[in-house]
Amino acid sequence: MINRLRVAAAVAAFAMLPSITAFAQETKSKLDEVLARGHLVLGTGSTNAPWHFKSADDKLQGFDVDMGRIIAKALFNDPEKIEFVNQSSDARIPNITTDKVDLTCQFMTVTGERAQQIAFTIPYYREGVGLMLKADSKYADYAALKGAGSSVTISVLQNVYAESMVHAALPDAKVDQYESVDLIYQALESGRADAAATDQSSLAWYMTQNQGRYKDAGYGWNPQTYACGVKRGDQDWLNFVNTTLHEAMTGVEFDFYAKSFKTWFGKDLTPPQIGFPVEYK
Amino acid sequence: MDIAHFLEILWLARIPILKGLGMTISISLLAICVGTVLGVFVGLALTYGARPLRWIVRIYTDFIRGTPVLVLVLASYYVLGTIGLDLNPFQAGILALAVFCSSHVGEIVRGALQSIPRGQTEAAKAIGLTFPQTFAYVLGPQALRQVLPAWVNTAAEMVKASTLLSIIGVAELLLRTQEIISRSFLSLEFYFFAGFLYFIINYAIERFGRYVERKTAVPS
Repeated sequence: MINRLRVAAAVAAFAMLPSITAFAQETKSKLDEVLARGHLVLGTGSTNAPWHFKSADDKLQGFDVDMGRIIAKALFNDPEKIEFVNQSSDARIPNITTDKVDLTCQFMTVTGERAQQIAFTIPYYREGVGLMLKADSKYADYAALKGAGSSVTISVLQNVYAESMVHAALPDAKVDQYESVDLIYQALESGRADAAATDQSSLAWYMTQNQGRYKDAGYGWNPQTYACGVKRGDQDWLNFVNTTLHEAMTGVEFDFYAKSFKTWFGKDLTPPQIGFPVEYK
Repeated sequence: MDIAHFLEILWLARIPILKGLGMTISISLLAICVGTVLGVFVGLALTYGARPLRWIVRIYTDFIRGTPVLVLVLASYYVLGTIGLDLNPFQAGILALAVFCSSHVGEIVRGALQSIPRGQTEAAKAIGLTFPQTFAYVLGPQALRQVLPAWVNTAAEMVKASTLLSIIGVAELLLRTQEIISRSFLSLEFYFFAGFLYFIINYAIERFGRYVERKTAVPS
């Protein structure tokens, strides 16, 4: 009997051993772990331009990738010290919670539901839906499209909400849904649609790729905030990433951020005003 | 559809496509080989195992066959990590596919072995063959002929299931194709092309199966 108890106690102690060591490690931040490792493990995708996609010579690039580079630069003074974990959109949150990645930057929309599972960093982009017209379109801008009422046709990606999404901006427009992004652009190009409605970042990228052939209607709606995500419960690491992103948009790394913004969205940013910090305006 | 434009993009993307094709082939080959070896043991255990072993293996095959491959892939990547077995996406994917393959091959092997009349085993015993000898000379060759058509089917399934590894980030042919589409906007063309490549792989497996069937056929 005593023997059996002793064995049980030993087993229990053995089972607790990992949790004790785990407790000891928890006091150490991911920040120290990443610094000791010597490179950042960044989770992102590879199939969405201009966010995270492969160049013709098979290198991962895009705005999300550049956000990771800003973090790596802050960590090691070397934007190349990144190990990429290629993940689908579905894998973004599980890969954070199971420690497969230190950080995920993958056009992740901030929602309350997600914020319960992971910790979001500060935003680095505000996405919205926009309208793209052909450069020689008979409609000048959003007001003209809206004024034309039911005589305009909008091409849009197939989606349960596609119809109501377009009608939120153009209540009377005819909505044609297509199965892939290339088809909505094709519909615009061939004249079957008067304008294409999709994420403004996608439109911006398409317009930089096809200079002078298209124009933006100058209206955006359906705001969505994009932020990176880290595991919950590590304030040090979250603070580090937040500080770095913040300084990329307002401080020392502004040029890096602005250059990336120009490359992927084709727009020049005005540098933050010197003097009173912009964030308290 | 502008053929010349597609061909130009295709030529530019030849290296990633070949890498993806190589990845798909190596995933499939590894999964099929490991799965087949495991599956033969599963089949033997199901047919000749002692009762407790048979039960355990029966639960294993039924559980695995009743689970979607995608769930197996996600489980081997995420769940095994939480119990300390941290596999990279490639290893986790191979494990999931091989386990899935083994349960199917196991059932095929069991069916083939059970279709051989009991008298054959008894006759083998009567002339003094040990069990391994009986299997190698009497049961195995006959079972092989039964197994082949169903095995080709399973192998083709594995090639198709390999596309699911793109979810956990293994750069196989489908993910490579999607990467090219995301920068070229030629979705129809490249999906067709990928479909064609998958067809070639599966056609090759089917021809290989036919070849082995011919070689092992009973001369008439």
